[in-house]
Amino acid sequence: MRDLRRRGGAVVIAIAVLGCGEARLEVGATAPAREVEADADGAFAPAPAPAPDGGEAAGDAAPPRPEAPFVPGEPVMPRLTATQYRNTLTDVFGEDLPRTPVEPDTNPYLFYSIGAATTEVSETGVEQYAEAAFLVAEAVFADPARRARVLTCEPADEACLDAYVRGLGRRLFRRPLGEDEVAQWLAVARDTAGDDPLVGAESVLAGMLQSPAFLYRAEVGEPAGATNRYTSWEMAARLAFLLTDAAPDDALLDAAARGELLDDASLEAHARRLLETPRAREAVQAFFAQYFDLGGLRDVDLDPAQYPGFSPGLLRAMETEVRLLVDDVVFRRGGDVRTLFSAPRAYVNRDLAALYGVDAPGATATAFVPVEFGPETPRAGLLTLGAFLTMNAHRTETSPTLRGKFVRERVLCQEVPPPPPDVDLNLERRADSPPTLRERLEEHRSNPTCAGCHAFIDPPGFLFEHYDSMGRYRETAEGHPIDSSGDLDGLPLTDALDLADVIADDDRVGKCIARQLFRYASGRLEARAERPALKALERAFAESGYDFRALLVALVLSDAFRLVAPVSGEAPQ
Amino acid sequence: MIIRSKPLSRRAFLRGTLGGVGVSLALPALEAMFGEGRAHAQERRDPFFGVFYWANGTPWHARHGAAQAQGGYPDLWTPAAVGAGYAPSPLLEPMARHRPTVITGLEPHTEVPPSPPGQEDGHMRGFMVALTGNRIRPDGFDHPSHTLTALDPSLDQLVAKHPDFYRGPVRFRSLEVGVSRARFHEYGHWNAISYNGPDSTNLPVMSPSALFDRVFSVPPGADVVQRRARVLDAVLADAGRLRQRLGARDRGRLDAHLTHVRSLQQRVESVAPRCDAPGRPGDPEDLVDKARLMGELLGVAVGCGLTRVFSLMLTSPASTHVFSNVGVPEEMHKTCHDGHWERVRAITHYHMQAFAAFLDAFARPEPDGTTLLDHGLVYGTSEYGEGWQHSVKELPVLIAGGAGGRFARGVHVREPDGNLCRAQLTALRAIGLDLPSFGKSGAETADVLPGLLA
Repeated sequence: MRDLRRRGGAVVIAIAVLGCGEARLEVGATAPAREVEADADGAFAPAPAPAPDGGEAAGDAAPPRPEAPFVPGEPVMPRLTATQYRNTLTDVFGEDLPRTPVEPDTNPYLFYSIGAATTEVSETGVEQYAEAAFLVAEAVFADPARRARVLTCEPADEACLDAYVRGLGRRLFRRPLGEDEVAQWLAVARDTAGDDPLVGAESVLAGMLQSPAFLYRAEVGEPAGATNRYTSWEMAARLAFLLTDAAPDDALLDAAARGELLDDASLEAHARRLLETPRAREAVQAFFAQYFDLGGLRDVDLDPAQYPGFSPGLLRAMETEVRLLVDDVVFRRGGDVRTLFSAPRAYVNRDLAALYGVDAPGATATAFVPVEFGPETPRAGLLTLGAFLTMNAHRTETSPTLRGKFVRERVLCQEVPPPPPDVDLNLERRADSPPTLRERLEEHRSNPTCAGCHAFIDPPGFLFEHYDSMGRYRETAEGHPIDSSGDLDGLPLTDALDLADVIADDDRVGKCIARQLFRYASGRLEARAERPALKALERAFAESGYDFRALLVALVLSDAFRLVAPVSGEAPQ
Repeated sequence: MIIRSKPLSRRAFLRGTLGGVGVSLALPALEAMFGEGRAHAQERRDPFFGVFYWANGTPWHARHGAAQAQGGYPDLWTPAAVGAGYAPSPLLEPMARHRPTVITGLEPHTEVPPSPPGQEDGHMRGFMVALTGNRIRPDGFDHPSHTLTALDPSLDQLVAKHPDFYRGPVRFRSLEVGVSRARFHEYGHWNAISYNGPDSTNLPVMSPSALFDRVFSVPPGADVVQRRARVLDAVLADAGRLRQRLGARDRGRLDAHLTHVRSLQQRVESVAPRCDAPGRPGDPEDLVDKARLMGELLGVAVGCGLTRVFSLMLTSPASTHVFSNVGVPEEMHKTCHDGHWERVRAITHYHMQAFAAFLDAFARPEPDGTTLLDHGLVYGTSEYGEGWQHSVKELPVLIAGGAGGRFARGVHVREPDGNLCRAQLTALRAIGLDLPSFGKSGAETADVLPGLLA
């Protein structure tokens, strides 16, 4: 049975959910995902009609068109995310700087990078940047060791001050300063020094740290043929922020100064160098944490009376567990990143070992140790671990709907449309309600308006019914034996372990990861004209055996990462 | 001298009964209706304006729709009688000490475009119209990921930036605070009720101590001020250079940043009014306690002229706050969905206790016998009528304060199927903004509600 949907060219039935209650049959290897593109203003606008994934066709009935040429997307101007801001300060000035609040990031379409490229900073946010800048500058100049990281000569000397302004400017603005900028910051130093040139130098630092040239990444490219390409300096920034979540280091800036980051070989070499740094491991975890919405773990609040062992510490452990698994799959082992969804192993601390009922010698409250799940432990992959199961459940009962929705939207990149207006969303338990959640949901689906979507969402969601709202394995719920059977696109499955087997080599999973990474790296949704680049990326990912680091390198080398449409209103050269 | 007129018995004033038909009121603009403090309030103080927001509406009843009628649940929100001096309903009882004016029967009149799908979602549609008088921005709206933003500024920002409101410098054009940290979604646009415009939120300060630090911190000395102002000059110049290189959209984002740098520069250089700052507060967990503390701090800030606009988000739209303190085992959003009417009633009652506690600092008599509430308005609202079916009908509006005698207190106005934007326009006119109309996308109106404006 299970091989049905793996057979090459096999007809697989997927339910297109264009509107609830309007379930249609679609033929193809994938269920439809709505195409979304950026319009001319850079604003996101979903295409009016959903089209099956993989087609550049405008609608279902249109014949396949020859692949349209790649056209680069519009430039975006992201503000540094809070992580990028903090990482950069640490890289430049050292650890343990005064830590003041900065405006929290927001994640439309899952990613902070998209929020950073679309939102305006608030007045409070600007105030916080200023406060942080003055405090950090003070801390740097109060500590000679710290100060020596950016200032090694005597600022009373004009040549020294000049070199300081240029050096600091290059590091923070990620490019050489123009002469007008140098003159401006020298004037700031002079005007604020009073009788202490160090105070003047400190003012320069405080100013640069709140300058839009530091806080925003305005990467607009330079003319190259019919379009623009990012400059060598811009490529340094793009590479560093994507792969390390921090501003480019001196080695990368030096390479940019030599014009090195414009050819494949040096770009790849620098990408591979950065991928070896500890920051890259954090950056990859940050991508997956946003992709899996781990921020939502913070909002889980179970009743310890009903869930003994529940605590905020357990939630943090669940998050750490995912990060360690990602690190393991991407960096330590390498290979097929889709094993995230099927690997029979995890990294657990004492609390998680208890939750899963596994022996984990050496695990303590803070020490996580690797465990292999044997056949007696019903766990395999991310979707059977605490974070996913807990975030996608309620306090008083599980939610096959939320869990199924996650599988559809996050793992397979399919779209689940909103409930239609005026439907009864009620799952109220009446005296005559059926006793199990499954039956209540099935009753709910007897309403034809709801059936279309819920037949799409719930069957994969039922597969997780053996795990309660805290992720504990259970054989019964409210005295009734668990029935965890369900299906994925018509393929009957027994439980979540079965699902893990099936999605372990589902190429939709790889495409989905490539698409999400593309969005994460672009700071916006993919435009229709960028799809050839995305397709090429999907192919490269598949050819690498779904190695995530290979995907990152392929992305960096892709035209979509290196070319950009000219700023609107400017004629291309 | 202080003129104190004894108000008429408001109960004796207009008494109406509510059948299925709404009662339209044409109230005479009687001095007494506007309560004490009117005479000198007008000459003494500029009004303040606040927004108080709570999540998930009120408990459902027959007026919300046919499905809601089936349970036979009573309407515990709408007072039995219309007019001045109405007897508070069970859910309004905690607020009675502040004599709010309550407007019932209203709903959004904004259009809902068919695409992208999902814009009719009660949370999202109601959230935007209740705060901005307009619909959701259709561009980029994405129901599955809950991505949404406003088209227009929220009421607090409309007021704070209106040229007629602050006619001089002010230390904080507005302050935004929040109480419950529970989030329906990590996406920040769900966690703020103050919008400057599309993709531009003012995220609330979530703890009283952080609010205290922001508002009452000791200003730096003159030399530091001078130095900071000079540094900000250079920041502005950098922004000017950057601006040349950007497309229209990013130029707008940078300009917003610049505007904030300029107001920061003005603040750095301005002299703060002298305030008797309260002690630095703690951060209690209980929402009523926390709302009370936020009220104390904002009351001082308003009282001594640090600001005249604020917003308070008690619970965020579609809040998932767990009200275990009133015996509710599940988070609020699901509690509504699951149809637990009694639990929603208990939560709404608690929300009103928090609203009342928040206002207590504004209701304290000052030496001249007036209270802050006499001089301003606090506009209370939620995102829809009820959360079981997400009906936007009977969207609650509860307005406290007298706006310096321009707004009638303690009146119940009922407008079945009425345009929500009329309530907003009425409140905005009450604080002196001469707006010809309010509301967009089908909800535009030039009509104020009857009998409320002096």
